[in-house]
Amino acid sequence: MIYDIHQTTAYSYAHAVPVARHVVRMVPVARPGQRVVASHFAVEPEPVEWIETRDFFGNTVVHIRIETPHTQFRVRTRARVEVTAGPALDPAASPAWEAVREASSSCLDPGPHSPAHHMFPSPAVPLSPAITEWTAKSFPPGRPMLAGAIDLMRRIYEEFTYDPRATDVTTPALEAFNLRAGVCQDFAHIMIAGLRGLGLPAAYVSGFLRTEPPPGKERLQGADATHAWVSVWCGEEDGWQGLDPTNALIVATDHVVLANGRDYSDVAPIGGVLIGSGKQKLSVEVDVIPMPEAPPARELEPD
Amino acid sequence: MPRRSEPQARTRRFEEEAVEALLAGYKTLPGVHDELVDAEGYPRAHWHSMLAALAEMGVEEVNRRFQAADRHLYRSGVFYRVYDDPNGGERPWPLSHLPLVIDEREWQALERGLIQRAQLVEAVLADIYGDGQLVRSGALPAAAIAGSPDFLRPMVGVDPNGGTFLRIYAADVGRGPDGSWWVVSDRTQSPSGAGYALENRIAIGRALPDLARSLNVVRLASYFQAMRAGLTRLDRSGEGRVGLLTPGPLNETYFEHAYLARYLGFVLLEGEDLTVRDNVVFVRTVAGLKRVDVLLRRLDSDYADPLELNPRSRLGIPGLVQAIRSGGVAVVNAVGVGVVEAPALMGFLPKLGQRVLGEAPILPNVATWWCGQKAERERVLDSFEDLVISPAFQRTLPGLLDKGSVIGADLDRAHRARIKAAIRARGVDFVGQEAARLSTMPVWRNGKLEPRPFILRIFLTATETGWKVMPGGFCRVSDSLDARAVTMQSGGRSADVWVLDAGPTEQTSLLPAVDRVEIKRQTGPLPSRAADNFFWLGRYIERAETTLRLLRTLMGRLSSSLEGGGSSLGGLVSLLQLWGAMPADLATTKPARHALAALSRRDLHGSLPNIIEAARHTASVIRDRLSPDAWRTLADLSLMMAEPVPAASAEPDAYERSDRALRALAAFSGLASENMNRLAGWRFLDLGRRIERAIATCRFARTLAGEAPTAGALDVLLELCDSQITYRSRYVMVESRAPVLDLVLLESVNPRSLAYQIDAIMAHLDQLPGHLGDEPPPPEERLAARLVASMRAFDALDFDDARLREIEGQLMELSNDVAERYFIHRQPVETPWDLVS
Repeated sequence: MIYDIHQTTAYSYAHAVPVARHVVRMVPVARPGQRVVASHFAVEPEPVEWIETRDFFGNTVVHIRIETPHTQFRVRTRARVEVTAGPALDPAASPAWEAVREASSSCLDPGPHSPAHHMFPSPAVPLSPAITEWTAKSFPPGRPMLAGAIDLMRRIYEEFTYDPRATDVTTPALEAFNLRAGVCQDFAHIMIAGLRGLGLPAAYVSGFLRTEPPPGKERLQGADATHAWVSVWCGEEDGWQGLDPTNALIVATDHVVLANGRDYSDVAPIGGVLIGSGKQKLSVEVDVIPMPEAPPARELEPD
Repeated sequence: MPRRSEPQARTRRFEEEAVEALLAGYKTLPGVHDELVDAEGYPRAHWHSMLAALAEMGVEEVNRRFQAADRHLYRSGVFYRVYDDPNGGERPWPLSHLPLVIDEREWQALERGLIQRAQLVEAVLADIYGDGQLVRSGALPAAAIAGSPDFLRPMVGVDPNGGTFLRIYAADVGRGPDGSWWVVSDRTQSPSGAGYALENRIAIGRALPDLARSLNVVRLASYFQAMRAGLTRLDRSGEGRVGLLTPGPLNETYFEHAYLARYLGFVLLEGEDLTVRDNVVFVRTVAGLKRVDVLLRRLDSDYADPLELNPRSRLGIPGLVQAIRSGGVAVVNAVGVGVVEAPALMGFLPKLGQRVLGEAPILPNVATWWCGQKAERERVLDSFEDLVISPAFQRTLPGLLDKGSVIGADLDRAHRARIKAAIRARGVDFVGQEAARLSTMPVWRNGKLEPRPFILRIFLTATETGWKVMPGGFCRVSDSLDARAVTMQSGGRSADVWVLDAGPTEQTSLLPAVDRVEIKRQTGPLPSRAADNFFWLGRYIERAETTLRLLRTLMGRLSSSLEGGGSSLGGLVSLLQLWGAMPADLATTKPARHALAALSRRDLHGSLPNIIEAARHTASVIRDRLSPDAWRTLADLSLMMAEPVPAASAEPDAYERSDRALRALAAFSGLASENMNRLAGWRFLDLGRRIERAIATCRFARTLAGEAPTAGALDVLLELCDSQITYRSRYVMVESRAPVLDLVLLESVNPRSLAYQIDAIMAHLDQLPGHLGDEPPPPEERLAARLVASMRAFDALDFDDARLREIEGQLMELSNDVAERYFIHRQPVETPWDLVS
C-alpha cells in the first residue's frame, strides 16, 4: 500500500517567542516493511540552525534553533511511503511468555532493536503494580506471548473508552488506567506498563493511520493527529509485532511508522524549549491518503 | 622522630600508663578487622606515633585542639553543609577528629588496585558507548546496561572530547575480616567528597601540626594540581576557561562546588549562565558571550540537556549534547558515565577485568549476583537470608525496597515473600550481594578511643601519564557499631585520612601540614548571574543600613522626646513605612513597639530580618567569589536577627540591636572596600549600594526638608546622612534648609551626599565592560549624565519635592537599565504542547 501523507502542525502563541529550540521527529524513515518514496519537511519561521541526525532508535531527528521573534510556528511534513505487511505470525505458535522474558533479559544485542531497551521503566512509563496485576490476567502460565499480548490489546479496546477530553499529553498511564479512558497515547502507555511489569519487552510507536477507511469499513480512531501504538517482542525468532490497542488491530498496512522508542518521551514529534510563549494554541491537520495504484516514482511537487 | 617500626614494637613497648588508659575499653568487634590494634589487642606499628602523641598531650589538650579544628571548620563556612534553608538546615560539619592512619606499603597496594579498577571502568564505558563488543561477545547481557537510567542513549557513538570518559574516578572501599580491601561501589557520575577531604585535612592539620609533620603525612595538594592541569589541558581555544557546572545552591554538596571552584580557580556556573550557539558553549558575562571549552560537571548527566536528555530539567543547557557530539565542548566526566555505578555491573566487572585488561583484579569487589540471569537468580533466592538485596540500577525500588538495600534476614516474613516474588517476576531489577563486614578505626569519645566501622572513598584523576591517586581520602565513620557495609551509605561523621610517607621527608618551605596550592586565579569576565547577585547584594546591604539608621535615629529621638520634634518623628515613621519596615496603619502612640517590629517581624516585607535574609541568600549563590570573612559577617547578622526579642524593655533593646547590626554591616563594608579586588564583582556590588543610597537620600530630603521644615527635622536629616559634625563645624547656627540641603545633596566631597553617589555611579558605568567609544552611550549612561548635570545645574533650594521625586524615578530607571544590559533575564521557559490521538 502506498500513502501520501500531509501533516501540518501549527502553534500560535499569546506572546512573541524570541528564541526557540526544537527537536522534531516528523520525518518517516525506511524500516522493515516500510519504504520512503519521497519526503519533504519544512518549518516556519526560518531557523538559524538546522541539524538533521538519527537518534539511538534510528529515527530521524531535526534540531532547529529559531531566533526570529514569532507568534506562529508551523511544521509541515509531506511524504509518500510504501507499506508492506510482513508475514502474519501465528499467535498460538509464539513462544511462552516466560521464555520471552528470559530471552529478553539474557539478550546479547546492544543495538536499537534489542528487547533489553524496552523491558524497564522509562521516563513516561513507570511500572505500576495495579496495571501489572490487571495485565497478568492475559498471561496465565505457559501462554504464547503473542496470544497473551493480543488478548491484552483487546481487553484495553473493550474496557476503555476513547475520550480525547479525559486526558492530555502529560497524563500518567496510571491515571488513564484508573479512568478507564483516554486516547491512543494513554492506551499504548498502559499496555506497555502492563507488559513491562511482567518483564516483557514493549515499545512505543508513533505514526500515521490511513484517514479514510477502506470501502465498507469504519473510520479508525486516531486518524486526526499523530497516532500511537505498541510493538511487542515475541522472542528472537519472531521479533517485533505491532499491536494497536486503540483500534484492536494487528498492525499490517493501515499504519505508517514515524518513530519508535521506549515511550512518548522518546518520540515526541515536536519537543524543545521556548521562552515566554504564554498561552499556546495548537492545531494539527493530517491526511493519509492511499494511492489508487502504484504511481510512478517521481519527486513530490512542492505545495 | 624515629619511626617505631622495629619488631620489638609489638612487645608492649607502649606500657606508658597514658597509652594504656587511652586503649582501656577499646573493645574490637568479633570477626571484624581493626585498624588500630591487631588480633591480640596490640597497637599496629603505624599507629604508635599517633598514640604516643595523644598520650603525651593528655585528654584536655587533645580536646582543646579538636575544638580548635571544629572552630576552624565553622569559621570557614563548612558549617553550612546543607543548603542554608531558613529552617535550620545549618549543621556543623560532623568531623571525626582522629584521622585514619594508613601505612605507606599498604597504601601503594591500594593505589595499584584502584588504578587498575579505573582503567577497567574506563574500558567498559568505552565499550558500552562504543561498539558494544562486551555484550555481543556474551560477557555482559544487554539488559544489565539497558536497565540503568544513567545509560543515556543519545550518547551512544559519541566520542568523549579529550579522549576519555572518566577524568575523575572514585571508589568506596572497605576492609574485610581477613584484612584485605574490597571495592564496595564505583563513583563516576560526579564523585563528591574531594573538597571535603581537603577541608578536613586543613582543620586537622591545624589541630595536630607537629604530629602531621613528624609522621610525614603525604599532602593532598599534588592531587588537585594534577586534576587542574588535566582539565586545563582540554581547553582547546587556549582561553583557559574551565567552568564547574553546578546544579545550584539547592544541591546538598553545593558548598563543595563553590569551595572547589574557588580553590581550583574555575568559574562556578549554573545552567542558566550558559548558552549553546552553533555547537559552542558560551557563558553569559557582563562583557557578552564568552566561550567555555571545558565543563567539570557536578550536575547529574540526565539533567545536562533538556532537549535530548531529561526534558523536565530546568538546570541544564539546551543543546549541550549536540555541542558535545560535534566536539565543541569537553564535559568531564563524560555525560552518561553513571551507567557503571549500577550494582548490576558489579556482578560482571571482576570477570570483565580478565577479558578487557588481561589481568586478574588486584582489588576484588563485593561479590554480587544479578538476578536477571537464571543461575544467579536461583542462587540469590536460595541464600536470600544471608545476602544484601539491592536494587540493580537505582537507589530504591518503590513499593519493594523503599529505603534501598536490605539484608534478607532483617525482613519480616511478608516483606520477604513479596521481594522473593518480585525477584521471580522481574529479576532484572535486583542484585544479591555478600553482606560484607567492614573494619573499624578509632574515634575519640569522652577522652577515650573507641572502635567504629568506616568506609573510605578514594579519588583518582586522569593525567597525561596515567591515573593519579589522591594520597588520602574521604572517610565516613559510622555512629553505630553495625559493621555491615549496607548500613554505611549515609549518616555518620567524616574523618581525614593520613597516608604515611616512609621515604625521605620533603621538608620544603610549605607551612606544616597545611595543604597549599599556589594557583593563579583566572579573572575572566564576570558571569551575568554573578553580577546580578553582586548588584542586589549591594542594594540589600545598603537598604539594611538605611533601615537601621532610620530606626536608630527614631529610638534616639524617642528617648529624648522632651525636645519635641513631633514632625521629625512622623517623618521617620513615614520613611520606615515607605520601605515596608513598619505597618502602614500603625497607631502612632507607640513607635517604640513598631521599631521593634521592624527589627524582628518577618511578615513585614521591609523588616530587617527579611532584608538580611535576602542579602544572605543573594550572597550564598556567589559564595565562590566572597571571602569567608565576608560570608561569616552576613551569617552572624542573620543569626542576630533570629535572636528572640524580649517583650519588656523594648526601647533600649531595639536601640542596642540596631547599633550592633550597624556595626556588623560596617564590618562587611570594610571587608568589601579593603579586601575585594576592584574587578567587575566589586563594581556591581558598589553600584548597587550607590543607587540604593542615592534613592534613600532623595527620600530623606523630600520627607524631612520639604517646605518650611523644622530645625528638628533638619537635624534628623543631618543625622541620617551622617553629616552633623561637618555641618556644625561650618555653621554656628541652628539648622537652616539651604545649607543642610547643599551638604546632603550637592556637596560632592561628602561621601553621604546625593552628588557623591551619582558621581560614583557614573564612574562605575565608565569602567564596566561593553561600551565602545564610538557607539552612542547606552541608556543607563545617558541617564547618569543627566543626573550629573542636574547636580551641577541647580541650587540646593531648587530641590523641591517634585525634583527629588523625578531624580528618584531616574535612579530606579537607571537600575532597570543596568539590569537589562548586564543581567540574565529570567523568562518562563516552556515546552511545546502536543496533540495525540
